[in-house]
Amino acid sequence: MSISDNDFIQLRDFIYNICGMYFHTTKKYFLESRLARRMDATGTKAHVEYYQLLRSPRGAEELKYLMDEITTNETYFFRNVPQLTALETKLLPEIVETKNKMGFRKLRIWSAGSSSGEEAYTMSMMLLEKRATLLKDWIIEIVGTDINETVISQAKEGVYNAYSVRNIPDVYKRKYIKEENGKFLLSPEVKKFVTFNKLNLYDDSKMIFMKSFDFIFCANVLIYFDTASKSKVVQHFYNNLQPYGYFFVGQSESLHGVNDKFKTVHFPGGFTYKK
Amino acid sequence: MDKLAMVKRAEELVGTIEDLPTIPVVATQVLLLLDQPEVRVEDVADLMLTDQVMTARVMKMVNSPVFKPGHEITSLRLALVYLGLKHIREMALTTSLIDAFNSDTGDFEISAFWEHSFGVGMVAKIIAEKIGYRDLEKAYIGGIIHDLGVVFLSQYQREEFQAVLDSIKGKPIKLVDAEAERLGTTHCEIGLCMARKWNFPEVYCELISYHHTPSEATIDPVLCAIVNLSDLFCSVRELNYGGREWVSFNLSEEEAWQILRNEAPNLANLDVERFCYELDDAIPDVKELVRSIFNSQEQAGD
Repeated sequence: MSISDNDFIQLRDFIYNICGMYFHTTKKYFLESRLARRMDATGTKAHVEYYQLLRSPRGAEELKYLMDEITTNETYFFRNVPQLTALETKLLPEIVETKNKMGFRKLRIWSAGSSSGEEAYTMSMMLLEKRATLLKDWIIEIVGTDINETVISQAKEGVYNAYSVRNIPDVYKRKYIKEENGKFLLSPEVKKFVTFNKLNLYDDSKMIFMKSFDFIFCANVLIYFDTASKSKVVQHFYNNLQPYGYFFVGQSESLHGVNDKFKTVHFPGGFTYKK
Repeated sequence: MDKLAMVKRAEELVGTIEDLPTIPVVATQVLLLLDQPEVRVEDVADLMLTDQVMTARVMKMVNSPVFKPGHEITSLRLALVYLGLKHIREMALTTSLIDAFNSDTGDFEISAFWEHSFGVGMVAKIIAEKIGYRDLEKAYIGGIIHDLGVVFLSQYQREEFQAVLDSIKGKPIKLVDAEAERLGTTHCEIGLCMARKWNFPEVYCELISYHHTPSEATIDPVLCAIVNLSDLFCSVRELNYGGREWVSFNLSEEEAWQILRNEAPNLANLDVERFCYELDDAIPDVKELVRSIFNSQEQAGD
């Protein structure tokens, strides 16, 4: 069923206000098809009816299913190109310069909600490429955390399918990926910088020990939290970030109304947060 | 670099060009007519109808998604009534500027230039509205004309300008800084000299001159800040001249942001993230507007 402009705007605003994710008009058809699945599953006949369901007491649970439909299996290597370009062009050199001045040659990166590890390993590959130049003699620590142990063991294994690796530029692919029987294996040097641990972002007692990060990534995780939890978790990220560090959320996500301390830093095709 | 020295250098460069495009006679007449205390829409319409190209463009623009009329407007007079007299000034000016600069030179795509310019105009109008700036049309025109100096450089200093663009490609270096270093002047001062030559009102001359340094403006720093901020936002979304410049900025540290927040403290509550995403959504409208303006030129020329 095609979605009317009014219904689209109503749902888009609802999802934005509750989850902090914006649906661009160009993604209307995508939303429409994902909605259709949830409407089938819930037996709702019209978009208005589904919208009412989302606003009802059962809405919070249904919204999680909808967000699952919207984000499912979306993770892959080199996913957010504008973000990576910004890192390479400006943010990484800037932090390296700051830390060089302090004589503190160690880079700490956190992929929060790391799932099967693509984001963490993308960073690892990117930084490996700079080992001979910008990051010569630097210590690199990349930490991936997730609440789900199954995806953590997948991440540790470092074996991927064609879909996951499709965006990796050839120059990286040749160096760091080996194909075996239709599976794609990461080279040990990429894995060497990265550790994966189980972590519940709600767990205050653990969160306070995630210290001194230069870059924190948390894409498509906060959209599942209610506003109060979001604020709490984001405050932890804020505390765990170096004064000159950057915090990234996913494409189309927003922290507006969640944390008013972070400042937005804009670059072509995206933005990041800074203290 | 010293502003006066850069203005002097710009005067030299602009002064040497004999075939600098002129604003069409009809546009100048329309602007003059609109300055009269009592002006009738009919008189303006009659005058504009003598210029086919201008008429065709105004019709395209008024029916474009940016102005969103409820139904198609089919006569110039209705268009002028719908737009209001202030908008006519805007139309006369902008359509004639497009006339003056309508061809690609080298790697410089003129349509990408106008997409950026109209994009900045549109965003400037939105920001002006948000902060309660009194003259939305001024903000819109300001956005459209802020980068005129860039077209001059691309057409009359082609090789030097291309070298400037090549030197900053993919690097976090501002175009104005690279221009100052390599050319001894920037598109701000060049634009200022052009605007003076064309007898633009002082407020627009200032805007063009200070759209990268709004706090140095004296006549209307708020207008300069509006256009500066709109320019920044367009440069990081998809209205960035096809990525000719790699721009990044920390909003809270921008002087324009400080100026506007002093002007309208409620701006602190702006949902910046959503603002960016909505800007993405509006980009097809801007591109369509520019396309329609160029098409109307071809049709009128047939």
